[in-house]
Amino acid sequence: MNQADLLDQFVIEARECLEAIGKRLLDVEQDPDNDELLNDLFRSVHTLKGNCGLFEFKPLERVVHAGEDLLDRVRHRTLAYSAALADALLEAMDYSAQLIEQIERHGRIEDGADAGSIAHASALRAFVCDSASASSAEALAALPVVAADPASGEDVTPSWMSRLDLAAFASKSGVLALRYLPEEGCFFKGEDPWRLARTVPGLLQLKVEGACAWPQGDERAAWDCYQCNLDIVLCTDAPRAEVEAHFRCVAEQVAWCDATVNVRTAAPPSDGAVSPLLRKRAAALWNDQCELLARAGHSAGTVRAARRALTNLLSCVEGAAASAASASLAELSEEVSASSLLTWARSNAPAAEAVVVATLSPDARMPDTDIAAVLPRIEDSPPAAPQKVLKVGQEKIDRLMELIGEMVVAKNSLPYLAQRAEEVFQQRELAREIKAQYAVINRIADDLQHAIMQVRMLPVGAVFQRFGRLIRDISRKLGKEVNLVVEGEDTEADKNVIESLADPLIHILRNSLDHGIELPAVRRAAGKAPAGTIRIVARQESDRVIIEIQDDGAGVNAARVRDKAVERGLIHADQAATLSDDDAVQLIFLPGFSTADQISDLSGRGVGMDVVRTAIERINGGVELTSVQGQGTTLRLSLPLSMAVTTVMVVESAGRQLGVPMDLIVETVRVPACDIHHFKQARTTVLRGRVVPLRALNDLLALDAAPIPNDAGELAVLVIRHDNESVGLLVDQFQGASDIILKPLEGVLAGLIGFAGTALMGDGGVLMVLNPKELLQ
Amino acid sequence: MTIRYLKKHAALEGHVAVDDAEALAQWLLQQREPAVHLGKCEDVHGAVLQVLLALRPTFKSSPADPLLARVLGLA
Repeated sequence: MNQADLLDQFVIEARECLEAIGKRLLDVEQDPDNDELLNDLFRSVHTLKGNCGLFEFKPLERVVHAGEDLLDRVRHRTLAYSAALADALLEAMDYSAQLIEQIERHGRIEDGADAGSIAHASALRAFVCDSASASSAEALAALPVVAADPASGEDVTPSWMSRLDLAAFASKSGVLALRYLPEEGCFFKGEDPWRLARTVPGLLQLKVEGACAWPQGDERAAWDCYQCNLDIVLCTDAPRAEVEAHFRCVAEQVAWCDATVNVRTAAPPSDGAVSPLLRKRAAALWNDQCELLARAGHSAGTVRAARRALTNLLSCVEGAAASAASASLAELSEEVSASSLLTWARSNAPAAEAVVVATLSPDARMPDTDIAAVLPRIEDSPPAAPQKVLKVGQEKIDRLMELIGEMVVAKNSLPYLAQRAEEVFQQRELAREIKAQYAVINRIADDLQHAIMQVRMLPVGAVFQRFGRLIRDISRKLGKEVNLVVEGEDTEADKNVIESLADPLIHILRNSLDHGIELPAVRRAAGKAPAGTIRIVARQESDRVIIEIQDDGAGVNAARVRDKAVERGLIHADQAATLSDDDAVQLIFLPGFSTADQISDLSGRGVGMDVVRTAIERINGGVELTSVQGQGTTLRLSLPLSMAVTTVMVVESAGRQLGVPMDLIVETVRVPACDIHHFKQARTTVLRGRVVPLRALNDLLALDAAPIPNDAGELAVLVIRHDNESVGLLVDQFQGASDIILKPLEGVLAGLIGFAGTALMGDGGVLMVLNPKELLQ
Repeated sequence: MTIRYLKKHAALEGHVAVDDAEALAQWLLQQREPAVHLGKCEDVHGAVLQVLLALRPTFKSSPADPLLARVLGLA
């Protein structure tokens, strides 16, 4: 991989990271106490920083590093997550996105970026400094608590501690033990874990084992010596910051433990009597009580029950520390409040220490030889095996799809061949064999096509992701409260469909926010909840993807829409008066329509909904709008699953074959010539009690020939949907449906009106595919 | 060349780099009684250390580095 490829890869991955970070930031804002989310967020930022380090992108690295430091504090609960903090982080991530764009465009960061990056980094650092002044000792004190947190799923004292002979350093203070589990592929990154471990400052002791058992017998031949399987534990008396700096590149692979604390608490021997399992259970129960107390809104009974549970826990965990704690619990008043009991419980958690003792006490110490006991513990901790994902450029997939398209077309020529063999060469037997072979190839080609479609499928959630941010920012700016609810984000559709969906959806959401959702005060007056809800629902309906955007806002005011449309000269006044409310609402799709009196920077420039409709129609989709005034608006987008293969109806007119997209066709009928009514130039007929205007396809294409009726004197009518109306096209003959790969008109043909594109048929002919919409205008 | 493969043992000398790990592993696997000399070995790469730990050849002499010697169980 050369430098340019690496850079491309970096840009792709950085984008992914930023997207993930943006999403997680919003998630965390919803649920700031969720450790898993926080850790995930931290990991994303950390990955991004690591990637930056690969290149000399100082300004980017500076910002990301500051973000990482900040999040590390948040993760360790030494800094509270706040909206201001989230704002700063989001801004920093936006800035990073800009930098990455520069990198993508020019391969480097522009010179002026330094100032901006320093500004963002220092804004982030400001949060860190604020909290640091609070107390750095608090940070250290918080560590054991974090370790005991049930959510982190780890023991209070990691089992690996027992591999170190800590007794030798019992007299020393500030001894730090750590376990370094290098990732499997670290040798390929040019890392040398052994060198890193043995050069640790203040190294006191170092032990190396295999993270998994070393290969035995026949396994040895297949063993890959470049898959790192080292498990290094060591202890040092250097300050933690210095050791952390030493391991800064692999910080996530290192587990820490303050050995001094543990060695000292190991001193009182009386505590060792209780079985380690009991201690562990007690610690878990204690944490459960803490969690219970931390919940909002509990009765006095709950508090009393929690208190009783704590007392009982203390009594079963004997020892000096426990008895002191139960004495102090007894001192608390009978009607103690939940919060003060919680503070007490958190500060007096005796189980945490006790478990430390238990694992370090000689009887409980895990024997090094007992591999079976050690293994499950190790399996808990190593980083998850990397997912086998292949990153392939889109153009390669497109090329593959093109080839499969050609394959589909090529295989379609076999039936023609069979026909020729039979008719021209009178080879029945051969014709049958060709047909049999065709069936096989047909099946494989179908599977191929299906497989490549699957590759191109993306969940619609990919575009929804960025909306959380959009809505948060806009609603803040407008002073509105909005909840975004997304459902069915796993629904899949072709990548091109998904990508062309992003802009229209943003338009729609902006409109909903700006015009739909009212201000909290207005909502309250209307008897609604002050916070509006925008609901995006995606689902699959046969071969279409349906996306509904629903808001519970003011809805569209039909009368106002009518007035504005007339005012802007979009329709005539008397025409407007005859429109039903439902139809009037559809006027907002007209080009140049806007009801906003003031042009805001969000919407109101009159390029809203018609752009949405054009964009959706370009990908063969449709938009429907329903609105109930005072209750909200629903926009329903219906999109094709995939744009690769189009089904067309092949018709014949004036000796030419033409394709008509199947999704526009309502029905095909044969109408006796006498049932066609002529009125001046116009022709109509009545189908199922409805008047359907008829147009001759030959006229529309300026072909000088009359439609040819069949032997019974009937004319072939292809009824298609056009602007919610049915229109009949008079053609000569129907020839059945065909799956084609539609190629848009390019080059000199690009300006041709009335055609959607061309397709290659199985017999080698070119089929022109009509665009009836353009044709009928 | 930081590893000399002799008839009865391999001699690791100086700093044994990551590239040598695979060759060493292959050689050790082929020997009936694999043995290595570490007397002149100053340092090894993590991958080489892993090979030595996994395949456990006989160590004919300890390395000068006490840390390395201890990790290999020679001191």
